[in-house]
Amino acid sequence: MLKNPSTGAAVLVAALALPGVVPAARAEAAPDSAQIGFKYLNYRDSQPGLKRVSVDAPSVSWLLPVAGSWSLAGSYTLDSVSGASPRWHSSISSASRMSDFRRAADLRVTKYLARSTFSFGTAYSTEHDYRSNSYSLQATFSSDDNNTTWAVGFGRALDRIDPVNGIVADEQKRTTDFMLGVTQVLTPNDIVQANLTVARGRGYYSDPYKQVDQRPRERNQSALMLRWNHHFDGLGASLRTSYRYYDDSFDVQAHTTSAEWVQPLPRGWTIAPSIRYHTQSAARFYYDPVYDPLLGEPFPPGYLANPAGFYSADHRLSAFGALTLGIKVSKAIDKNWNADLRYEIYEQRGSWRIGGTGSPGLAPFRARFMQVGVTHKF
Amino acid sequence: MACGCEVRIAGLDEASAFRLAQQAIEEVRRIENKYSRYRADSIVGRINAAAGDAPVQCDGETVSLMDYADALHASSDGLFDITSGVLRRAWDFRRARLPSVADVDAARALVGWQHVERDGRHVRLSRAGMEIDFGGFGKEYAADRAATLLIDAGCRHGFVNLGGDLRAFGPQPDGSAWRFGIQHPRQADATVASLDVVHGGLATSGDYERYFELDGVRYCHILDPRTGWPVRYWQSITVLAPLAIAAGSLSTIAMLKQAAAGDFLARSGAAWLAVGPRGEVVSSDGVGDDPAAGTVE
Amino acid sequence: MRATILVALVLASSACSFIEPVSPWQKGNLARPEMTFEGDALEGKFLEHIYQSKENASGGLGVGGGGCGCN
Repeated sequence: MLKNPSTGAAVLVAALALPGVVPAARAEAAPDSAQIGFKYLNYRDSQPGLKRVSVDAPSVSWLLPVAGSWSLAGSYTLDSVSGASPRWHSSISSASRMSDFRRAADLRVTKYLARSTFSFGTAYSTEHDYRSNSYSLQATFSSDDNNTTWAVGFGRALDRIDPVNGIVADEQKRTTDFMLGVTQVLTPNDIVQANLTVARGRGYYSDPYKQVDQRPRERNQSALMLRWNHHFDGLGASLRTSYRYYDDSFDVQAHTTSAEWVQPLPRGWTIAPSIRYHTQSAARFYYDPVYDPLLGEPFPPGYLANPAGFYSADHRLSAFGALTLGIKVSKAIDKNWNADLRYEIYEQRGSWRIGGTGSPGLAPFRARFMQVGVTHKF
Repeated sequence: MACGCEVRIAGLDEASAFRLAQQAIEEVRRIENKYSRYRADSIVGRINAAAGDAPVQCDGETVSLMDYADALHASSDGLFDITSGVLRRAWDFRRARLPSVADVDAARALVGWQHVERDGRHVRLSRAGMEIDFGGFGKEYAADRAATLLIDAGCRHGFVNLGGDLRAFGPQPDGSAWRFGIQHPRQADATVASLDVVHGGLATSGDYERYFELDGVRYCHILDPRTGWPVRYWQSITVLAPLAIAAGSLSTIAMLKQAAAGDFLARSGAAWLAVGPRGEVVSSDGVGDDPAAGTVE
Repeated sequence: MRATILVALVLASSACSFIEPVSPWQKGNLARPEMTFEGDALEGKFLEHIYQSKENASGGLGVGGGGCGCN
């Protein structure tokens, strides 16, 4: 509301109160220009003394308005992955080298109505031993004043794995997921979002390349994500924050929180430092690098008594805390071209866990990733 | 509202553009007919005929416009008054003659927004002979309504121009703005500046639309309701504002404020370009960067 | 637990009726790309993929998408 508006501003406010002189708030409008983007990702991870995996991934994405109230969007990525992946835990001495290509593509078609949108998407990804196909349906519904938007989604995925080592053949995993979310405008400088996702999966979850890795054949997951964007008028900057709570039927509970400060600078430059912290508990069947006295590495204690039990030495299922520090610089070259560069360093350590003890005996895991991209509107 | 009406829609196939332009023009005509003071059966005609008599019930749109007129009266310290049309009885612009003091006083007795009684949807002009008239913003209101109709129908490029009072709703298809020439207040076939508009309203008020000159003094149709005499400062004022009706009202109030208009326009937040009494062009920052602007002869 | 979250979401959004609604002409800042929740599509996909292959938490943003055999 205007406090002591100048009389001139009072005229505009009075005019805005007349019927039919401003368009009805559009929920989400179809894009009015097409867009294409290229991005190159370079990822390297390492543990002390050994460079592990490196990934180079060029990719392209596009967005096309179609027939006024539709849009078509998609992307294509080609990852080339190479490096040493540990056989169990994070042991360095027995690392094996691997090299792989992964192709991934997705396509989404969206219909825009006055107060709602509906979209259908499909995605696939292939590696020489793993194929994933999925589809999803999403809808959004906005209130008349466009300040509240509900989103609902449904998706199904089918993953097929056929590992080269022949440990298993033609295994698969089917996943169904649901999403319910709400986005709310609170003030002219604040918008918040809450999303709940729930997934059910059945099938093969184990890692065939790890010697002792037997995981349950089902996994149920849920995640609650809260996000808040706040704009600071004085600085022209925006603060983007998020928090996600996650839990699943492997008994992993995780909290992830992040913050990014987007600061516009003169001449079309923008700089955005960011920080992300993640902490998780270990899966109930994760075992520490303490091995059976009889069988030795990599067998967990008690394996002989229960050879059909669930076990995994995958460090991703251990309890740890992880921190990412990042910086993104972008430049609006002109009204149709934009370039950006993003650099992040990531480290994962058992001792950085909050809310419990981290899994012992694992070497710190580090990664750095960089993305360089350019987008063009036409 | 007897003037040119141009609806320009770009970026659509011809059939759709034609169909939507027809709808926009029909909306302009609807408003023209509904608020015409020449038609005895229009709401304005009926309110004026019942002056000094019984209250007349109005519909929602008319009540909203009356609320707007009330806001303009308050914002302009009483200068913008939709009951001031009766002063035209004293001023005959076709015969270059000054009115007698008695004629002006007689007309002034019937002017005064404070004499309009409003109660919910009912309106009554408390003195016989009083008249209200929406001519001060009717055209601009119609431009906004027609443009909004087109925006809601999905149009993203174009404008509605009703004789120089216009509302644009999107750039030309290549992204560039529409360029409009501002009528030179003293030379009929020249412009004083060109303004680029992408979204929003543009309106001009000037002393050249209806006037006569006597002994080197110009008497124009914009009359100060307090004195009953024409204003005599600006040659023309053009305002850019998010809505055409806001631009039109601001330019008219600025003409009425005469020398005090500069301060009023500066605080309004709108962009503006004005031609002063000696032909000098003044404007707010970044408006009308046309090399032709300068001093107007 | 999930039912509680859903109820909390519904209550939270209906509580928003106590907040003064924001009008269309006040939404200039909210239209800035950094104030929306969309973000750069490819950047989002890359990061989600990286974190899904290094950590055991995912979700909260969308549906579908499938998996990968990332080690």
